[in-house]
Amino acid sequence: MRLEIQSIDMKDLQAGSKTCATDRILYVNLKELEEILLKDRRIKSVDINLVYPGKRVRIVNLMDVVQPRCKIDKVEADFPGFIGRLQIAGGGRTRSLRGVGVLVSNPCTNRKYSAFLDMSGLVAEMSRYGKMKNISIAPRIAAGTEERDFEDAVKIAGLKTAVYLARCAEGHPVDEIEIYELDIPNLFGKSNLPRVAYYYQLYSPQHDHLGISDPCFYGADVRNLTPTILHPNEVLDGGLVGAHTIRALDTYTIQNHGVIKELYRRHGKDLIFAGVVCGVANMEPVPRKRQAVMASKLVKNVLGAEGVILTKIHGGLPHVDLALVAEECEKLGVKTAIFVQPLISYGTLADTLLFNAEAVNLIITVGATMERIRIPLDADRFLGGTAETKIFCPDPIVQHAGDPLIDVEQFLIAGVHDHLGGTNIMVKEY
Amino acid sequence: MSENKLKVVHYLNQFFGQIGGEGKADIGFMVKTGPLGPGLALQKAIGDKADVMATLICGDNTFSKNPEVAAEEGFKLIKAYQPDLFFAGPAFAAGRYGVACGAICKTVGEKLGIPVITGMHEENPGVDMFRKYAYICKTGNSARDMKESISHMTKLAFKLIAKEKGAHLVSRENLPRPEEYGYFSRIILRNEYTDKIAAERSVDKLLAKLRGEPFKSEVTLPKFEKIEPPLPVKNLLTSEIILISDGGLVPKGNPHGLSGRGNLRWATYEIDTFIPEDFNSSNYEIAHTGYFPVQILEDPNRLVPVDVMRDLMKEGKIGKLHPSFFSTSGNATISRRCAEMGEEMGAEIEKRGVNAVILTST
Repeated sequence: MRLEIQSIDMKDLQAGSKTCATDRILYVNLKELEEILLKDRRIKSVDINLVYPGKRVRIVNLMDVVQPRCKIDKVEADFPGFIGRLQIAGGGRTRSLRGVGVLVSNPCTNRKYSAFLDMSGLVAEMSRYGKMKNISIAPRIAAGTEERDFEDAVKIAGLKTAVYLARCAEGHPVDEIEIYELDIPNLFGKSNLPRVAYYYQLYSPQHDHLGISDPCFYGADVRNLTPTILHPNEVLDGGLVGAHTIRALDTYTIQNHGVIKELYRRHGKDLIFAGVVCGVANMEPVPRKRQAVMASKLVKNVLGAEGVILTKIHGGLPHVDLALVAEECEKLGVKTAIFVQPLISYGTLADTLLFNAEAVNLIITVGATMERIRIPLDADRFLGGTAETKIFCPDPIVQHAGDPLIDVEQFLIAGVHDHLGGTNIMVKEY
Repeated sequence: MSENKLKVVHYLNQFFGQIGGEGKADIGFMVKTGPLGPGLALQKAIGDKADVMATLICGDNTFSKNPEVAAEEGFKLIKAYQPDLFFAGPAFAAGRYGVACGAICKTVGEKLGIPVITGMHEENPGVDMFRKYAYICKTGNSARDMKESISHMTKLAFKLIAKEKGAHLVSRENLPRPEEYGYFSRIILRNEYTDKIAAERSVDKLLAKLRGEPFKSEVTLPKFEKIEPPLPVKNLLTSEIILISDGGLVPKGNPHGLSGRGNLRWATYEIDTFIPEDFNSSNYEIAHTGYFPVQILEDPNRLVPVDVMRDLMKEGKIGKLHPSFFSTSGNATISRRCAEMGEEMGAEIEKRGVNAVILTST
């Protein structure tokens, strides 16, 4: 499978009478975009705003961030199963806009945790999105729409916006072309390099809002997924999107998947990228064990990998599932490197581990995503909600977006941590 | 003395302060001008960058009787010197001296916000008591190691006041690496920027592991002691049974402030009023962010099975249900604190004469 990503570096984002891209400026016809998003009957109205680094704006109730991208050579192939027709993602040519992002807020959310972003101050300095020019969309719920159904509508509105923007940049000169080509069936026997696979934990049902799982895999939810094999291009090119919550993971992060891009970069030089096995976290011990043995079988006996990198999702519980997959891989002789996310910032580093498996001895941290941080207010404008929007604090403290100081955990800030290995953060013990 | 020189105060016990041996361990505080004993080596190591203005001395017995009170008293005697740096000891393996060094460092550090540095051997009880509050350099177990220990402590002190820009995510504050500067980690975890992204680090390290080369895990595995399961309860009919749960069930409003994640507390509730037979589901909340608590909020008996216990009592299958229920929240709480809470609960249960415990989790 071969994927060509054509990237254009955008320097500016402006409202215009026609959506197009000229001289690295992306002009957006906000009215036209609004009309497109309002075609979804689940959406009553939508606030659309352009936000810039250095401006005193706080965007709240964030549920996703998306990089503007579209397929160039295929019809109805964008984010298949979500907006495009069902087909396998990851082949052909894709246009991608860099330096701009779609910030997707759900102002009608009842979820306990929602992410936020400031375009100035401490947060903007820490977040990769705080340095980009962004379009913020915040759809409002139409009467008679179920809460969970509306969340899907908001998600899709974000994806549609991303596709719309990328499509309208047609004709603009391209800055970089990246080729992602991996011929998995013919990888065997050609090289002495070690074969390394990637185990991608896609989802955990532990925070399912109202007990319903979020669709994130070709339009479907994957709560009961049996581990399966993916081509890495499917991940990079819209087959998968983020859940309806940002917890160190969003669609933008998946589109720029750290571990997959790194394995591609080293493919043929230091290693052979043997492919991707995906699975989910489980709430019960028997399905957990079933996942682990199935996944390790695919890694070892189908992809023929000698080594595997495993990444996790969400919070504490998925560590247990992930460690069990790693343990089963090690039993089969596959060497593992497992990602963890220390959930607390006290105790020693060893205290933070949520599993105890001797064979799982190479542990990589993406940083303590729940490290606390106090953020002085650096905004006088609020998008996606209001100054009264609640911001989650783990202590029994009620705080709001407009408070002079908020005390949060870093995973609530969009664009700082990344479960998929794309950020240069780690936790150290002092 | 030039004006831009740093001011240093040094703490010693009666022995190193040259008052006398064990026979003088009951002396009170005194302050002497300038360096003394190990302070002379300290002054030599810091050279002309700083002056040891004063030496605070106290007997080991006097200090260890009530370290907190003693530390306050000692602090009052030296605060007028307005030190930029504070040193204590090193105490090597001496237990009372180690506690004194740690306690005086803690108080001075908290009151003045200056770097406080001491030195101890790993077996000194002062290490675990005060490593959070002071920079404790690793030393040998006796004064034979004095010169080298003083040199380590000095090197660390200058690193601490250097104000170099560091990699910390938020403050960009620079902290010396414990392994590089030879001190006991202060059990602080912080996020830092690194040169390489996690993906690249993971591939590098995995390739080393695949080649059979040494590799360094970013987290080292904890070591747990093996806990033998207790013997079965001999006779349920004569037993009083208590219910304990780590599912975070608390009264509405969470009066004891249990945290939903990384919780450090536990609380006691009377079953008759907390979970009566005609309970009202609007009276509860769950201080636990690790699971979806919808079913439990509808009926708390699904976490704390009081209804089943009441039935068993009526059927004469168990002796007695203890009238209180212990509640905590077990979600990413470090095992060290879990063990402490277990000990606290165990002691309380023993006091109450309870014979058996049913622990329910989520």
